[in-house]
Amino acid sequence: MSSLNASLDLVLDIAGVEMTALIDFATGMVVASAGENSPVLPAVAATVAYEARSAVETYEQGTSRGELDEISVTTARRFQLMKVLEYQRGEGLLLYADVDLSRTNMALAALQIEQLSSGLLAR
Amino acid sequence: MAMTQEPLPAGVSAQGGPGPYGRLAVDRGLSQALLTSANAGRSVFLQVTGEPGGVVHLVDGGVVAIETPGAPDAETVLLRSGLIPEPGWDAAFTAAAASGRLAAEIVQQGLIGAARLEAVLRIVLADAMFVLAVGRVEECHVVDAAAPSLLALEPGAEPRRLLDETSRRLQVLAAMGSQITHDRDRVTAGAWQVTSRLPLSDSQRDILALANGRRTARDMAFALGRGVFALTLEFSRLHELGLLVVGSRRGGTPAGQADRAGSPAGPNPHQAADPAAGPGKDPVSPLPRRRAPSQPGETSPARAPQAPPALLRILRRGPSGPQVPADPEEPGRTAGQDAP
Repeated sequence: MSSLNASLDLVLDIAGVEMTALIDFATGMVVASAGENSPVLPAVAATVAYEARSAVETYEQGTSRGELDEISVTTARRFQLMKVLEYQRGEGLLLYADVDLSRTNMALAALQIEQLSSGLLAR
Repeated sequence: MAMTQEPLPAGVSAQGGPGPYGRLAVDRGLSQALLTSANAGRSVFLQVTGEPGGVVHLVDGGVVAIETPGAPDAETVLLRSGLIPEPGWDAAFTAAAASGRLAAEIVQQGLIGAARLEAVLRIVLADAMFVLAVGRVEECHVVDAAAPSLLALEPGAEPRRLLDETSRRLQVLAAMGSQITHDRDRVTAGAWQVTSRLPLSDSQRDILALANGRRTARDMAFALGRGVFALTLEFSRLHELGLLVVGSRRGGTPAGQADRAGSPAGPNPHQAADPAAGPGKDPVSPLPRRRAPSQPGETSPARAPQAPPALLRILRRGPSGPQVPADPEEPGRTAGQDAP
């Protein structure tokens, strides 16, 4: 098994996470994914990367302070988390997780993903 | 080369759309050869002749490496981006000389995590496939004697997913109406005197600093250790804002002339290539000629487009901001004063 897939499987073990993917920040490419196979994942990844690029550029342009950490989208039943794993001068990686809120609560899922994310690429 | 017909990924067939990428498509012969080898689970080289051409390494039907002069390889990306320090790389390279397993060595020496390295290799592969597949493909030869690549992806990437990703990239560039061709258009920083006042990201500043009229997106990808597609996207955005201008076009019409002719994209770069030049002989156009002293008020098409984009016009006419010289060679002209 690839190292990336082994890392993503750890995210998939978190209660409520149904699908997770590693997305290339600069291109919106799905580098690797685990969990439910969705045909719309490439389109979702491209959108996520676009939003993250826009947000990071806004921060870099000095209109706000700090660095982008994560972007989240919440609906009545789903919680989607886009976490910046690494970013430097236009290049980086994003972790995307799609969480079913009927199986967990948002804060717990976010905390568990946060705890895992720091070591995900070092494995 | 006898190949069985395979269904091709969506988007491989010819597409229509604005800009040079709307007319490009993943080469059908290359797709066919890749998918056939992948389905047979073969471990082979796929030699692609043309421009830029290259070699695709397949192991058990998966793509483990692609060598092409059209895109930076993993070593360039890892070193230029600073992901791996050069002294550490040299030590790992020396240590891997015996085993030939450089990837394992740099992970073992703690220079990078295995997952991070795999991500880099996958991204580099997709970029190489993009430039290879949208280039001019003359022939694809399958060579059975496969030699291992030093930095190979394990396990290999599925060719169909790589082709799908390439098609998606083409669709993105076509949808945004990109007028920049990654391997042809040499860019220069347009209205550079204004850019220093604009809020730009670090990545955009890097690009503008290197835009000296002699680099294409491909050239800059090598210089920065980034992907060709990623830089083409950035080029397109900056070009749209008028911050990047196409100075000349490799092997084709200078962009300024194409703009005035009403065909900003110019001809399909790969179709426009001179077939008499043959493989590996690139029809390179001469560098742009220095112009004779211009009339007062006349601007170079490379430096200022005929119709300045909206953002540039707004910036020059800033309602309350200080007056910015429009051209360093014309200190008398300031923002808010359009050329006659």
